[in-house]
Amino acid sequence: MLKKMIASMKYKREIQQSGVRVRKPFKISKLLLYIIVAALLVFTAFPMVAMICRAFMPLEELYHYPPYIFVRKPTFQNFIELFTSLNASTVPFTRYIFNSLWVTIVAVVTSIVICCMGAYGMVKHKPMGAEAVFTIVIAALGFSGHVTKIPNYMIVSGLGLIDTYAALIVPSMATAYNFFLVKQFCEQLPDSLLEAARIDGAKEFRIFWIIVMPLLKPAWSTLAVFSFVSNWNDSFSPLVYIHKDAMKTLPLALQTMSGGAGVVSRSGTVGAATLLTTAPTIIVYMVMKGRVMQTMTYSGIKS
Amino acid sequence: MSDKSKKKEKKPMAMKTRRSIEGFIFVLPWLIGAALFFVYPLFQSIRYSFSEMDSLAGTKMHWVGLANYSYLFNRSTTYIPKFLAQIKNTVINTPITLVFSLIIAMLVNRDMKGKGAFRTIFFIPVLLGTGFIMESLLGVGVGEVVTNSSDSMLTSILMQSIGGTFATYVTEFLSRITIILWKSGVQIILFLAGLQGISSSLYEASRVDGATEWENFWKITLPLISPIILLNIIYTMIDSFTDSSNELMADIEKSVETGTLCRGAAMGWLYFAFTFVICLLAILVMKKLTFNQGER
Repeated sequence: MLKKMIASMKYKREIQQSGVRVRKPFKISKLLLYIIVAALLVFTAFPMVAMICRAFMPLEELYHYPPYIFVRKPTFQNFIELFTSLNASTVPFTRYIFNSLWVTIVAVVTSIVICCMGAYGMVKHKPMGAEAVFTIVIAALGFSGHVTKIPNYMIVSGLGLIDTYAALIVPSMATAYNFFLVKQFCEQLPDSLLEAARIDGAKEFRIFWIIVMPLLKPAWSTLAVFSFVSNWNDSFSPLVYIHKDAMKTLPLALQTMSGGAGVVSRSGTVGAATLLTTAPTIIVYMVMKGRVMQTMTYSGIKS
Repeated sequence: MSDKSKKKEKKPMAMKTRRSIEGFIFVLPWLIGAALFFVYPLFQSIRYSFSEMDSLAGTKMHWVGLANYSYLFNRSTTYIPKFLAQIKNTVINTPITLVFSLIIAMLVNRDMKGKGAFRTIFFIPVLLGTGFIMESLLGVGVGEVVTNSSDSMLTSILMQSIGGTFATYVTEFLSRITIILWKSGVQIILFLAGLQGISSSLYEASRVDGATEWENFWKITLPLISPIILLNIIYTMIDSFTDSSNELMADIEKSVETGTLCRGAAMGWLYFAFTFVICLLAILVMKKLTFNQGER
């Protein structure tokens, strides 16, 4: 796959080099192209820039009317307030950060292991009823989680998991989308490699860990990004499963912070908190970028 | 059981059974999870939608048939209007999103400097999710700031040059464009994948034959990415219907808190049945219109 892509890229470059003559007359159109893309970029990036500026705005700029877009005298006051004055109230902000990090990381890791195991077993061992399961998975892709959220609540409360980390982790472990993505990749695994390992006497779980998992790395590293993003941003499950303040995750804490009493006086700290909440997803994406794009274009779907 | 009887047969058969059992062990954790948190809840929520709750705790309920559904149609004052508003919203947003994402994908697909960075920025909104964070960010969108910010000279220029009413249209458009761009990250990526899949030899050939870029777009690009257009239409519609910012979804979510689970389940099922039918229709219609290259 990769080799093919590289080859095609090289081919394209050659064509471009040879086709210089065709491109020359289009200089003005090229400038126009940059201008259009830049304009669209401004619109896309604007809310993010505004959010970042807001997080660093001192109090008098926040209250200025009409409001400023860009920060004039940046301060860290909002962040300091977020960590000190909020600590003095009920639950320290660092606790929310810990909650979010812990829940997300555990959910992502377990989900990857379970989905990879499931997809590998299903594709390469073909147990009875494999076809039926695939059909269910495809059907599950079409459904929004909201239909099943209500009975899910019943199950979670029935298991006695309300107000625990497990309530946020367990339901998101066996997701259909993750399974589907890994399944697409598992079908590419060469049978001969697995056969060779078996002839050499390797046990099934050893084959899975030593051979299959490294080969599936493009799949599960993409999955890690998506699963991180969806778990990190999920404000609905904590809203339903978590009632204690100390167990809330960042998105929900943010929601509580920006609603209710004293909203206006806290708009700076809310800005700082929003920045802290969005930063990890963007960092994770930046680190994994190349791989994600490649997998997305390959599998051709993202849900 | 059955695997014992199979073991007595030829050896390859026994091998196959063993593999099947091993596979089953691998799949087991996922199966348990999916059964517990997807399959069972799915059937359970169908049952809820035909039941009435006896106690707030939600453990006891009795069968009431179609009562929840008839309530939504006949007595609820909010459900049908919200439903219709949502349909209208989707009908407006889907084509606009598709056109914009196709334009952006085609722009970013050209060889230009820094296209990697452009792609990243267009994709970032997808990472911020659809939930509360996105809404609060879009609260400070372009339109709002343009209209009431001291930093923006744009408003005053607009007001002076083209007059009040038209200026509000422009700012309205500006505020909408950010939302649309924020919703089209995935579509851009899918279109990009499709565009890159088109062999450049086709364009070379048509250029030799003297075709213009405009003709190339209608005769080569559009037919060849038509399967992706279909995929994107479905994705955009589902995304728009299940977006947590729409009021109908908010009502369904609220039903968990207010203890009207059964009605919420009925609302959900009606809604998703409708979404499903619409997507099916879209697939059927587009199947006839999409161009099949054979290998796809």
